[in-house]
Amino acid sequence: MYDEMYDAEGQARRHYEALGQWLASLPPALLEEKRREADLLFHRVGITFALYGDEEGTERLIPFDTIPRIIPDAEWQFLCRGLVQRVTALNRFLHDIYHSQEILRAGVIPAEHVLTHEAYQVAMIGVDVPNQVYCHIAGIDIVRDGRGEYYVLEDNLRTPSGVSYMLENRRMMMRLFPELFEHYNVHPVEHYPQLLLETLRACSPHGMRDPVVVVLTPGQYNSAYFEHAFLAQQMGVELVEAVDLFTKDGHIYMHTTSGDQRVDVIYRRIDDAFLDPLAFREDSTLGVPGLLACYRAGNVAIANAIGTGVADDKSMYAFVPEMIRFYLGEEPLLRNVPTWQLRKPEDLRYALDHLPELVFKEVQGSGGYGMMIGPIATPAERDDFRRRIESNPANYIAQPTLSLSTCPTFVEQGIAPRHLDLRPFVLSGREVRLVPGGLTRVALKEGSLVVNSSQGGGTKDTWVVA
Amino acid sequence: MRISIDHTTRYVYERPVRYSTQYLRLVPLSSERQRVLQWNLDTPATPLELRDGYGNILHVLTIVKPVTEIVIRSRGTVETSPAIDEHADEVKLSPLVFLRPTALTRTEGPLIEFAERHRRRAATLTGLRDLAHAIHERLPFEAGVTAVHSTALEAYQAGRAVCQDHAHVFIACCRHLGVPARYVSGYLYLPEREAAVASHAWAESWVVDRWRSFDITNGRPAGEHHVRLAVGADYLEASPVRGVRHGGGEEQLIASALVAPQ
Amino acid sequence: MLSRVGDRIYWMSRFMERAENMARILGVTSNVVLCSTPETQQQNLLAPLTITGTTGAFFERHEVISLPSLIDFMGLDADNPSSIYGCLKQARDNAHAVRWQITSEMWETLNTTWIDMRAFGRELLSSPDATRFFDWVKERSHLFRGVTYGTIMRGEAFNFSRLGTFIERADATARILDVKYHILLPRVEDVGGALDYYQWAALLKSVSSFETYRIIYRDQIRPINVAELLILDRRMPRSLAACLEQIDQALSRVEGQNDHSAKRLSAELQARLVHGDIEEIFRDGLHEYLTDFLQDMGELGQRIQRAYLGAL
Repeated sequence: MYDEMYDAEGQARRHYEALGQWLASLPPALLEEKRREADLLFHRVGITFALYGDEEGTERLIPFDTIPRIIPDAEWQFLCRGLVQRVTALNRFLHDIYHSQEILRAGVIPAEHVLTHEAYQVAMIGVDVPNQVYCHIAGIDIVRDGRGEYYVLEDNLRTPSGVSYMLENRRMMMRLFPELFEHYNVHPVEHYPQLLLETLRACSPHGMRDPVVVVLTPGQYNSAYFEHAFLAQQMGVELVEAVDLFTKDGHIYMHTTSGDQRVDVIYRRIDDAFLDPLAFREDSTLGVPGLLACYRAGNVAIANAIGTGVADDKSMYAFVPEMIRFYLGEEPLLRNVPTWQLRKPEDLRYALDHLPELVFKEVQGSGGYGMMIGPIATPAERDDFRRRIESNPANYIAQPTLSLSTCPTFVEQGIAPRHLDLRPFVLSGREVRLVPGGLTRVALKEGSLVVNSSQGGGTKDTWVVA
Repeated sequence: MRISIDHTTRYVYERPVRYSTQYLRLVPLSSERQRVLQWNLDTPATPLELRDGYGNILHVLTIVKPVTEIVIRSRGTVETSPAIDEHADEVKLSPLVFLRPTALTRTEGPLIEFAERHRRRAATLTGLRDLAHAIHERLPFEAGVTAVHSTALEAYQAGRAVCQDHAHVFIACCRHLGVPARYVSGYLYLPEREAAVASHAWAESWVVDRWRSFDITNGRPAGEHHVRLAVGADYLEASPVRGVRHGGGEEQLIASALVAPQ
Repeated sequence: MLSRVGDRIYWMSRFMERAENMARILGVTSNVVLCSTPETQQQNLLAPLTITGTTGAFFERHEVISLPSLIDFMGLDADNPSSIYGCLKQARDNAHAVRWQITSEMWETLNTTWIDMRAFGRELLSSPDATRFFDWVKERSHLFRGVTYGTIMRGEAFNFSRLGTFIERADATARILDVKYHILLPRVEDVGGALDYYQWAALLKSVSSFETYRIIYRDQIRPINVAELLILDRRMPRSLAACLEQIDQALSRVEGQNDHSAKRLSAELQARLVHGDIEEIFRDGLHEYLTDFLQDMGELGQRIQRAYLGAL
C-alpha cells in the first residue's frame, strides 16, 4: 500500500513535512471548529449532492476533508504530459471514426466494436467540428498502485463533473487555514473558469470573434446543478434550460426580456440522447427541437461534441494506448490498468476463474454503480454477479484490484489513511491545457475503495507545490 | 415507370400553435433505382435544407408566429426502374451502423425465439426472404391495432401489424441474427386503387455486398412501384414528418397523396 | 436576462406582496366583523372572498362561513394557491428556481419565511393569534422588500422585482378599497355614523394610512378623502398613483424590446392618475372606477408577460 504522506518507514515524505508539523501543532478543538465552519460555509453556498435512489431527494453535503493531498511539481509535470498526450489521442480518434475511419481500416480496433456501439452517433458522420476537437472538457481519473505508480483508471469525455468542488475546496482551505499557505507555494487553480471560457469561445462556429456562450443545464433538480450554476456565474455567461432555447432559421436563440438573442456555443451538461427530441429520444424535455440540424449546419457549437461517448466507455478504454501509438507515434506516458474485456471468450474465462480477486465493472456504468469488488464481496454477491456476467458478458470488463494509494484523512477516531483518486480536468481549445491539480476524491469508509460522492465519498483540496 | 406524386399533409389545430419545429424527410433522392425528374416542397415558412447522418434530404421547418393550420405540400415526378437488384448507397455508410438495436427494434422474449428459427440461412437472400414471408404470415395486415410508437415486440405480440411494424419486426430479427438492416420510408403506387399512392414502409438488409429490399407487407422486393424517401435505423429516424409544438390543443392530421403514373 | 428568470423574479415578488395584502384584507375583515350585527356579519365575511374572486373555492371546502373558517381558507389552506400559505410557498419556489440570480439574503429571507410558515399549526386561529399571524406576514414582507432594495444590483433582476411588487400592490389596494363597497351598514341611517367611521378607519389602518389621513385631512373620515388619499395621492406609498409611478419607472428601465405595448399602457394609466379628479371619480361611482382599474391592471400584467416574460 502506498501512502501519499508517509513512506515505507513511516516518515513523512519531503513535500508533506511542513504539513505534518502543522498538524501536530494544532489543538484538536481548533480543528473541530474549523471543520464545522467549513460545513456551514458549504451549506450556505449550496454545495450539495442529490443522491440517486434517495426517495426524498434530500440534499446532502459532500464531505470535505481538510487535510490536503499534495503533489510535487515534478510529478505533476509528468502527469500533465501524459494527460495531454492521452486527450490529444482521444480527440484524434473521435475525429477519425467520424470521418475516414483509418484506425478501423488498419484493424487496430475491430470496426464492429466502434460502429455498433450504442453511443456512436450516425448524426456525427462527416460533420466537421471547430479545431477538430470533440472533447473540450475531459475528466481523467488517475490512481496509484501499491508501488506508487500512476495509472489511468477511467476517461470521462461526456459531461464530467466535479470541477466546482475543486474550486470551492481551494477557496475553503485558503479561508480556513491561511497560515498553511505560507509554508507552501501552491499553484493556483482559480483561473479554471477563465480557461474554460476561452476553450468554449475557441470552438465558436464560423470562427466568429465574440460568440455568445451558454451553459445548458437539465435544471435545479439535477444532482450537479450547483456546478452548472457556479460555472455559468464564474464565466459570466447565461445558465439556460431547454425551455429558454428555440430554433429559428437554422440558428439557436434564447428568450430574453429584451428580445431573442442568438446563441453560438452551448456548454451542455445533458447527455446526447436528450439533446434534441426530433433526432434522439422523443420523450426528452431537456433538449431543443432542431438543435441537431443547427449543429450539422455549423451554426452552433456544442461542447462536448455529440458522440464522444463512444470513446469513454470501459470497453474502449483498453484501446487508448493503441490510439496514442497510432495517431501520435508515441508510447503512452500514462499506463492503463490491465483490463480484461469479457466479450472476448478467453478474457471471460480468465475473469470467471479469478472472480474473487478482480474488480468488475459495467461497460457503460458510472458513479461507482454496476460494479463489484471481488475481494470484499460476499459469496452471495459474487454468485449474483457471476450470473449477470454470464447472461451478458459483453457488458462487463474486469481489472485487478488496485490497492489505491492512501492519504491521512479526518475520521471519527482522529486521523487515519483512506484510499483516494485524482480527477484532473483537461481543456482542449486551440491547445490542450490543465490547471494544476484537480479533484481528489477520498473513500471515507475504512478500507473502502469506492470514492464516488454518490456513494458516500468525500473530497480533498489538491495541491501541486513548487 | 414515371410516377407523379402530390402529397399534402395538413395539420389543423383547435387553438393557435405558438411555435413549432419539424424535421421533414419528404424529398426523394435520385439513385440507380429512381430518377427524380422534378420535385417541389411547399411549406408555410422557408425551411433550412441539409442532409441528415444517413444522407437523407432533411428540411427543418420552424414556425414562430401563431397559426391554427400547418400545410405542407410535397410534389414531383420520379422515374423508377424495374430492376429489383439493389445498389450501393450514395453516402458511403458502413452497413455495420445498421446493426445497432434501437428502442423500436429490440428483440426480446418470444421475438428472440422467432428470429432464432431463421439463423441458419440468415446470411443468404433466400433465407431472409423466408424470414420476411414468415413475418407476413404471422402478422396479417390490419390497421388500428398497433400505434405509431409500437415496438417490434409489441407488434409481434399483438398479432396484427401495419407496414411500419412489419419493417420493425424484420429489422429486429435481422439485427439479432447479425445482419445489418434498415428502415425505408417512401411511397407505394397502388394500381388497383385508382390514382392512389400510399405512404409506405419497407426494409433493406445487407446481403454479401449490397443492400437488398424487402417489402414484407406485400411479400416482394421493392420494384418500380416503390418510391424511396429516406432510410434510417427505424421509423423515428426516417419518418417523413417529426415535430414538436407549443400550444394548439387538439391536432387533426389530414394527409392525402395522389399519384399519376405515366 | 432570460425571460424565464425574469418571470420567476417577477412572480416571486408578486406572491410575497400578495401574501402581505392577504394579511391586510383579513385584518380589516376581522375588525369589521367584530362590530357586525348578526344581519350584516354574513355579508361582511363574504366581502374578502368576493373581491378576490374565491367565493366558489371557499364553499367547496366549507359549508358555512365564519371568521375562523375564513381565516383558515385565506390564511392557512395549503390547497388554496391564493392563501397566505400558498403565496409564501410560491414566492419561495420561484426564488429557489433563480437562486443564482438573486442575492443570498433575498433567498434566505424567503426560505426562512417559508420554513416558519410551515411550522404554524393548522388549528383555526383565535383572534389574538390571528392578529399576531397577520403582523408576522407583514413583517416578513417588509423584510423581503428591504433586503431586496438593499442588496440587489440595479439591473433587470431589480427592475422585474419592483415591477412584480407594485403591480400586485396596485391590484391589491384597489381590491381593499373596494371592500368598503361590499361591507354593509345595517341601516341607511348609519351612513356617516359611528359604525361607518369604524369601518373606514379599519380600512385605512389595513393599508397603514390611518395616521397619514389624520395629518392630511385632520377632521372626520369622509369617503371621498379616503379615496383621494389611496387613489391619487402620490405621497402615499400604497396609493394607486404611487404604485403606477413605480411601475412606470421600472418599465422605463427595462432594456430594449420590440414590443412597447406594456410601456404605453403603463404610461397611460399613470397619466390618468396624475391628472385624476376625485370628484369625477365619485360622481361616476367609486366601485365602477375600481372595477375598471382592476381590468386595466390585468391587461397590463398580460402585456408585461407577453413582452418580456414569455407567454407560456
